[in-house]
Amino acid sequence: CGFTPAYGPGGGAGALRGRVAVQAPVTKADFDFVARLESRLGRGEAPAYDLGYAISATRQSGGITADNETTRYTLRGTATWTLTDRATATRVAGGEVSAFTSWSATGTTVAGLSAEDDAARRLSVMLADQVMIRLLAAAATLAR
Amino acid sequence: QEAATLIADRLEIAGDQRLIAEGSVEVFYQGRRMTAQRIVFDQSSDQLRIEGPIRLTDEEGSTVIVAAQADLASDLTEGILQSARVVLNQQLQMASAQMVRSEGRFLQLDNAVASSCRICAGSSTPLWEIRAKRVLHDQAEQQIYFDRAQLRFGGVPVLYIPRLRIPDPTLDRSNGFLMPKFTNRTDLGTGITLPYFVTLGPSRDLTFSPTITTNGARSLEVRYRQAFETGSIAVTGTLSRDRIQPNDTRGYLVADGLFRLPRGYRLAFHGEAVSDDAYLTDYGISDTDRLTNTIQVDRVRRDEYIAARIINFDTLRADDFPSATPYLVTDSTYVQRFRLGALGGEGAFRFGSHTHTRQSSNPLDDPNPLEPDDIAEGSDMQRLSFGVDWRKDWVTQNGMVLAALGEARLDTFNITDDAIYGGRESRLYGAGAVELRWPLVRAGADGVAQVIEPVAQIVWADAQDGLIPNEDSRLVEFDEANLFSLNRFPGNDAVETGLRANLGVSWTRIDPAGWSLGVTAGRVFRDDPVAGFSDASGLSGSTSDWLLAVTAETSGGLNLAGRMIADNDLSVTRGEVLAEYATPDLWLNTGYIWSIADLAESRPSRVSDLVVGAGYQISPGWQAKASGRYDFEADQYSSADFGLTFKNECMLVDLSLSRRFTSSTTVRPGTTVDLSIELLGFGGGTEAGPARMCRR
Amino acid sequence: LAQTSINLTGLRQDTSLPVEVTADSLSVDQGTGQATFSGNVQVKQGEMTISAGTARIEYLADGQGIAKVLLDGRVMFASPTDAAEADAAVYTIATGEVVMTGDVLLTQGQTTISGNRLVYNLDAGTGSMEGRVQTVFVPGKANP
Repeated sequence: CGFTPAYGPGGGAGALRGRVAVQAPVTKADFDFVARLESRLGRGEAPAYDLGYAISATRQSGGITADNETTRYTLRGTATWTLTDRATATRVAGGEVSAFTSWSATGTTVAGLSAEDDAARRLSVMLADQVMIRLLAAAATLAR
Repeated sequence: QEAATLIADRLEIAGDQRLIAEGSVEVFYQGRRMTAQRIVFDQSSDQLRIEGPIRLTDEEGSTVIVAAQADLASDLTEGILQSARVVLNQQLQMASAQMVRSEGRFLQLDNAVASSCRICAGSSTPLWEIRAKRVLHDQAEQQIYFDRAQLRFGGVPVLYIPRLRIPDPTLDRSNGFLMPKFTNRTDLGTGITLPYFVTLGPSRDLTFSPTITTNGARSLEVRYRQAFETGSIAVTGTLSRDRIQPNDTRGYLVADGLFRLPRGYRLAFHGEAVSDDAYLTDYGISDTDRLTNTIQVDRVRRDEYIAARIINFDTLRADDFPSATPYLVTDSTYVQRFRLGALGGEGAFRFGSHTHTRQSSNPLDDPNPLEPDDIAEGSDMQRLSFGVDWRKDWVTQNGMVLAALGEARLDTFNITDDAIYGGRESRLYGAGAVELRWPLVRAGADGVAQVIEPVAQIVWADAQDGLIPNEDSRLVEFDEANLFSLNRFPGNDAVETGLRANLGVSWTRIDPAGWSLGVTAGRVFRDDPVAGFSDASGLSGSTSDWLLAVTAETSGGLNLAGRMIADNDLSVTRGEVLAEYATPDLWLNTGYIWSIADLAESRPSRVSDLVVGAGYQISPGWQAKASGRYDFEADQYSSADFGLTFKNECMLVDLSLSRRFTSSTTVRPGTTVDLSIELLGFGGGTEAGPARMCRR
Repeated sequence: LAQTSINLTGLRQDTSLPVEVTADSLSVDQGTGQATFSGNVQVKQGEMTISAGTARIEYLADGQGIAKVLLDGRVMFASPTDAAEADAAVYTIATGEVVMTGDVLLTQGQTTISGNRLVYNLDAGTGSMEGRVQTVFVPGKANP
């Protein structure tokens, strides 16, 4: 049905493994995003591609109860990314991915704090996984 | 000394020291440029007699003067222009029969009309105009002074101002009144706010915003901002007297700062305080129900993250017992990522410290339905954690990614003021896992790509059992990011143990030109349930809820994201959908949140909260917005908002009405109507809107 | 600062003064009575010197004087204060009018005027330049 293993011969993902240099992080969200992407892409010594990204996130309150209390928060994030071939300095792939995580605001202050921090970390992981899927798709078209 | 250049179709050198240039004449001098039909340059008097139509533009093109005729000095700095019009910053136009230009700096217009509205050939009355006996434009100070001015709307005089000074549009910061705002708020009546801006040198400013209302409320907001070389601070404070709480002064203070420290560190602080729990909602300042004061220092590098913070909480919630919830929290984090070369894999060391204290020192737990935990009302905690995680993966022949993972952590706790958990306790936790991913791709000729990625993980984890209260890991979420993580508790107090299998698959279709769709499904199967997972988290029991997540996007403007966790019988434990549809003229957005009730999460009632919003660009000038939030659980609207905005090249009118229906012991339902009128073109910073089309 | 002015009185010239022409070679056409000087031609009249590649003299009908001087090659009119040059020029002695054509350039102190065609009356010191005339001059008053 036309599917081939991404890391198989026809998949092309092997060309990216350990060959992509991810842009250095500036914020904690970047840090988690880079850590996740580098653990999935591998980090080699001779990168052939550079991955640039910009992450943004906004928090929305929700689950408002009848007595005006916020019981849920949603963190909506987007990451715009570009993959540049280092040899020819041309953009070979890019786009924008988006994701959201949410957490409850009903516990104590300590519970709410760690839930919020974990939600932010998970958003970075989700955005990195979405970019990873796009990279696998791009590698397939590059390989053709 | 710079030369001037004069270009013309024909130049006559008349005998008496006069040069006559005719035919699309252009003069360039020190960045100024003038075009005209005919110029007589009388060299004896160094005067230019210019016949129009004349167009004079200054260096940056921010001031353009158009006139029929003029007598100017040859360096274009002095002189008189007849039936002239000056356009500032391509927006504000001032016209008068005669305009005198002096010292290359001043422009004086007598019997002038100033407006930034387009004047169409047919009707000569602009939407608004300022008529004045005399207007003086000081280009150096970038100020415009009006004498005996009259503000007219549609030709009808509305306001008479003997002396008016308005900043020139090119000026960034200048002392003076800002545009007024009109507000009507329940219990406060209709009020006017007239802000006044004071610049204190290039890097500091103050804004005073007094408000008085018909129903006897008086309020003054003061905002102070300062920029330093390495950072900036902003402090805003308000003081109010009103009839809601007649005999006391109410108010609110918020301060924010961000500074760059040496060696890549960053300092950020945020502080807020309020006089009473209802103030923020009564005055519509914000909907937060917990005030936080934080000081944080952090540094982010590729392989290293360092952060330390102190947070003080001040709850406004009616049902929070202030003394029973931690009011002071300190955290420090140090993460160091490492790699063990080609064969060894990679991982990270994690060090963390955490303390929190409660005002109460009651070592017993008062039974409270909203806090089903058994933690004492006065329980304080200090914790140190050392952790390490590691991962190594291989790609097999048939394109599978096989990975071995492991993590370990030692947490030591010291708990005081707690009869049950008081004392020191430590716990060692370890986990190991094998993960198998098999990403499959299909790249269609038409640019459509598909990726299917099945993932399976077998995880084993164990931890010494210890008498440790679960404070920071009570609010657990189950989503695509932690479907495959080894420990799904957000904090350090609880750890996920036992043998389990995490199974999931994602299918993504990517077609930038057409539609893209992503679906992820997953489930966790474990040998025996983990007590710490509450029902609402969807991870309780020996098999978790089904996890289903969808993202969809069409090039036509639809953008949808949804997630749901549901039991086998498809009863949804928790779900959230966010959808937007945006076209240039119409945009719709909607969000729905559902969650079952779960006292383990201190959530006594279910959540069924729908937000719907729509915006429509009625015409290039008019835009309407409406949004509503409906609480199915309480079967009533939580809030509704309507907005109407008119914006063209010279005026912005923003009318918004918002109604909040929720109420509690501290907060009553209320309606707010805001009206702000802004005359554009005076450097107010607001972008001009689309210009009115003149019907030929 | 001296009051700079653009006038061509500097080129003013009493056209009744005798004209002296010197050149490397001279050829005379008996039939038309035309004399053609060529090779760094110099035409002097009072303080004005005109230099050119070639100069053709047309004599008056009665042969008693020069009617016109037609000059080619890069023609240069020079007076003690001003200078004018062009590709070609026709100087009609009787009317004192000079018509210069082709890349005309008038310089006088810091002021230069360039154009395609200049009609100039030596006696009156007046003239007019046509074609996309460009005048570069220094305005009198120092700009504040």
